[in-house]
This record gives sequence, structure tokens and C-alpha cells, in this order.
Amino acid sequence: MTDTKLQRRDFLKLLATGVGATAILDAANKKQLFSPPESSAGHDSEYSWAMVIDQEKCIGCDYCDLACKASNDVAPDISWNHIYQADKVGEKDVYLPVPCQHCEHAPCVSVCPVGASYYREDGIVMMDYDLCIGCRYCQAACPYQARSFNWKDFDGDNPQVPEWGEPDVERRERGVVEKCTFCVQRIDRGLELGLTPGVDMSATPACVNACPTEARIFGNLNDPESNVSLALKNNPHYRLREELGTGTRIYYLPATDGSVEAS
Amino acid sequence: MIAKIKNFRPTNFHLWMAVLAIFITVGVGTGIYVIINGLYLTNLSDLVPWGLWITVDLSSIALSAGAFLFCAAVYLLKLKEYEPIARTAAYIGLIGYGMAMMCLLLDIGRPDRFWHGFVFWNVHSVLWEVTMCVGLYFSVLMLENMPNFARLPWLRAKFPRLVVKMESVHHYAPYLAVAGLGLSLLHQSSLGATYGVLIARPIWYRPGLAALFIISAGAGGMAMTTLATWIVGRLQPESNVRVDLLNKVAKFLGWWLVPYLYLRFWDVFAMTYTYQPGREEGLHLLTSGPLAVNFWFGEIILGALIPIVILLNERMRRNPITRTAALVMVIGGVIAYRWDTNMVGQLVVQAPIPMSNLPVYTQYFPSAVEISAALGILAIGLMIFTLGAKYLKIVDHNPEPALHAATD
Repeated sequence: MTDTKLQRRDFLKLLATGVGATAILDAANKKQLFSPPESSAGHDSEYSWAMVIDQEKCIGCDYCDLACKASNDVAPDISWNHIYQADKVGEKDVYLPVPCQHCEHAPCVSVCPVGASYYREDGIVMMDYDLCIGCRYCQAACPYQARSFNWKDFDGDNPQVPEWGEPDVERRERGVVEKCTFCVQRIDRGLELGLTPGVDMSATPACVNACPTEARIFGNLNDPESNVSLALKNNPHYRLREELGTGTRIYYLPATDGSVEAS
Repeated sequence: MIAKIKNFRPTNFHLWMAVLAIFITVGVGTGIYVIINGLYLTNLSDLVPWGLWITVDLSSIALSAGAFLFCAAVYLLKLKEYEPIARTAAYIGLIGYGMAMMCLLLDIGRPDRFWHGFVFWNVHSVLWEVTMCVGLYFSVLMLENMPNFARLPWLRAKFPRLVVKMESVHHYAPYLAVAGLGLSLLHQSSLGATYGVLIARPIWYRPGLAALFIISAGAGGMAMTTLATWIVGRLQPESNVRVDLLNKVAKFLGWWLVPYLYLRFWDVFAMTYTYQPGREEGLHLLTSGPLAVNFWFGEIILGALIPIVILLNERMRRNPITRTAALVMVIGGVIAYRWDTNMVGQLVVQAPIPMSNLPVYTQYFPSAVEISAALGILAIGLMIFTLGAKYLKIVDHNPEPALHAATD
């Protein structure tokens, strides 16, 4: 009968195991081990950047892409701003510019094996080019084809410089993935200088500045009076592949045939 | 010495090694060329970022699954008679994972950062889990192969004490089998989940992929081990391969393929019940488009159906020709499944335009550079196996293997 009794030593062993397991689970919970990561913007950050693209105004001129290429020193065969011809409304061509959507639940951030894709406090999905191993899993995972791989070296002059602007970031090396960053360098520098991104041009993404028809609006969703908040409040809008639950930060105002008056 | 050279008559072994050496030279050359010049030399693109090399990587891992299965059977289920097969399987596993890692090294954009996965963790990434498992399992395989390497005659003559140490690793075989089983189950299925978790691509976004990957890997691993054992047995009669053992494995494999065939067919069939944009297009590619021949013949008919008939029919199973054909077909079927799975999600271009039901397809065919490097890696694997069979007696079914000769 003695061998069925719990000995003091066994009891202590069990106790220690239990305490250890609880400590591990607790630590795991604190590190969100059991739930996928999400961006914290809108919860405890002052800023939550977003872009509104008005398809009524977009004329598909590519200026946004050219300015982006100059400002971010993007290689000629890469685009951070794919512009699709979407449809026609009446006689008018409708375009769909698709930069990185800066998802709240970004598939690219979840799948990156080394954590090279990450969320900034302000909701921007960023790349750490020094961590990226170039496995391209994020490209397979991105629902918007917003990511480009540096298949070859980008040497020599950037054909869009200086006509469309001057580069204000370092050129990426071959073998890493890159994508739209909402021009974080302009936002961060602007905020340091006390400027308002989306209002002051030098603190605003290059594509927004370059748009000749002002089809792009950029601003802070956490500020109810910002231009993006007002645009979304006053206009019908949609996001791309909303059914996936990615929670994108690019909002589109659909083109109309004029029968509905937008305010 | 001179007399030795004068009397040199090339045998089939020399010829085979020479052919492999040519493929290796060309393949390694192309590999270095790609690493120096960049992946633009491949036919991969932003639309199809994963191609032939990923297929080789997935296939060689799948065909290595014999290692964990046979080690678990021998050391955990105590099926002792399969021990010589487990030894062969462990060696094939080591080669397979080595080939997979060579492929990945070539495929990633920054081979110099291959170690990032072990240092910079993203525990939410299924690919991180695969990286860790593959790295750890490769170490397990190295340990499991220590007694194999201890058979090298040169090592036995020069370092007898080291040989004893290497052989003593065998005492830990059951623990290694547990580790191997856990790690393999995790990453073999997670390789399927690598595709299965991608919500962006509906043809991939299914939980079934993880199950199908582990089941098909089991089939491929068993077929690979049995086939390799039998071929070496034919070429090296002194290894006394026990065909009765191979037949038992072949029969088990025949039964193993039945649920695989059922699940694979059902997996596809169930998708025809409802419409989902993107998934429907993928299904079209698979069942009536460019992947259809591969799917119906490579995966279903030749890859599973005919091998089931052969391996579960006693007369055909015992016939070396039909049995070998069945094993080759199973291996081909597993590779076809990996290729189809990898391609089908990427060939359907995700339509970014809302409410657009117009399918857009893209194409991919590997470039000469990709094919040459892949053949080179395959040749490296074959050469290491051949050398192992010749000098390490990887396939040896003699009752008392000369394992402890050094200690005597």
C-alpha cells in the first residue's frame, strides 16, 4: 500500500512542477504567446496614421508612384504603388492605387520568421531590412501584393531623381523585401519639428504631395478633426478585401457617376 | 602506385560517381553564380516568389520522413527487427535535410543571414517553428548517425577510442527517437500549415494541408527508405537485404496510402460544393488547367491508386519489378503533391480590384539556372548516399553487424 501513497518528496516535486508550469504560462501570456500580435495604434498611441484615396479624383497619372520612387529611392523595376485600372463609371476610367495597406492584423507580420516585419506604435507596418533573410513568405502572405523583392542590385542613378524629388532614405540591398512605409522618415522628422503630417507638406508622404488632383489625403485617425477623420465621416468609403479582417489603413472613396452628391 | 594506375579499369561505380561529379560541379557552379549575381537569374517573380527550389526543399524533407518513422517503430514500439532499416532511414534523413538546407540557402535572398531564424524569434510565424524544428532535428539526425559514421574503416583504424564514443550514442537511441518523433511531427505538418495559414489565398487557406503533408511525408519516407534499401541490396549482395522485411513495409505502405488517397481526393472534392473567389480558380488550375495532368496522374492515379493496388496484392508486392515501380510512383506522387500545392496558390493572381470576378493567372517554369542547381543538389544527395552504402555499410541486414568490433 505504501507505494500508492503520495510521498512528501513526490508531493514537493509535483508542487514545484505546477509552480514552474504556471510561471511559464504566465510569462507566455504576458508576451502574447497565445494570441497573434496586432498593432497597438488606436489603443494607447497618440497617432494612428491612415490614408484616404478618392477614386473620383484619381486620374491614373502615376505621379504618386514617381514621387515615391524618388523620395524612397525605389528601383525602376519595383513599385510601392501599383496603380490598377479598375473599371469605368459612365465614360470615366476609374483607377485603384494600391500601396501597402498597413493592416491592423497584417499577415506579413505574423508570418515573418525573423520578425523583420513589425508594427510601429502609430500603426505603420515597417520592415527591418537588416533582419530580413529574403525568404519571401510575406509576399506569399500579403493579400494586396504590396511587397516587392530586390531580385537584383540597384546600382547607379535613380531615373526619377531629381525631377520627382530627392531620396531621403537609404537604398535597400539586394535580397530583401521592401514596401510602402507611409514615408515614415517624413512623418518622424515632421513631428520632431512640430509639423502636422497630412497638413504640412514636408511631414506628409511623397505620394500625397505629388498628386495633382488631391486624390490622396493623409492624417491621424485618432484626431477626430483631422482631414482623414472628416473625410471618412462625410463620405461613403470602403477598404480592400475587408472580409479577411486585416483592418487596413487605406480607405477608398468610390467613384460615382454624379447621381449621388458627396458632401 | 604506377601499376595501380595502369591496372585501373573503370567500374560501374566509377562511372556513376563521375556522372554525379559532373552534375555536382555544374550545379555548385550555378549555385555560386546565383549567390554572387542575384536571384533575378531565376524565373521567380513577385507573383511567384516560391518555385522549383522550394519544391525540392519540401520534397527532400518529406522523403526523409522514414527516419523518424522507423526510429520510432524500432525504439519506441520495440519492433526490433526493423533496426537495420531504421539505420538506413536515419542516413537518408540526414541527406534529405542536408539537401533541403542547401536548397534554402540558395533560395533566400540573404544566405549570409540564414542563422537569423535561430536568434531573432517570431514565435507567431509557422516558418520560424519550421526553422527551429529543422535545425534541431538535423542535430538529432547527426547524433542518430554517429554509429553509422563510426563504421568508416579509416576512422576505426585511426581513432578507435573516438569510434567507441560515437557508437555509444546508440544507447540514447530511444531518447533521440522521442525527440525526432516530436520535432518531425511538428515541422512536417507545419510545412503544410505554412501554406494553410495564409488567409490571403483561399486555395491554400485550409486546415487539411497540415494533415495531408504529414501523411504524404510518411508515405514518401517509407517508399524512399524501402526503395533505397532494395537497390543497394541488389548492387551489394553481401548486405543480405531481408526482402521479407521490405515486403512488410511495402504492405504497411499500401494501407497507409488508402487514407492518404481518400483525404487528398476528399480535400479537393469538398471544395467543389461551394463557390469562393480565388479558391475556385485554383481548383480549376488543379483539376482541369495546367496542373491537371500532374494532379490526376502524378498524384492520384500513379501516386496513390496504382501503388495501393500493387502493394496490397501479395503477388505483385512480392514481384521486385512491380514493387519497385510502386515505390517509385509513391515517391513521384509525393513530389507531385508538393509541386502542385506550392504552385496552385501562386498561379492565381489575387485580384485586388473589389467585386472583380475576372480570374487572372500567371505562369512559372523554372529557369536553366534553377534546374541546374537543383540537379546539383540532388546529385550531392545521391553521391553521399552511394558513398555511405559503399564505405559505411548503410544497408546491412546481416544478423550481427560489425558494430562493436572496435571494442573487442
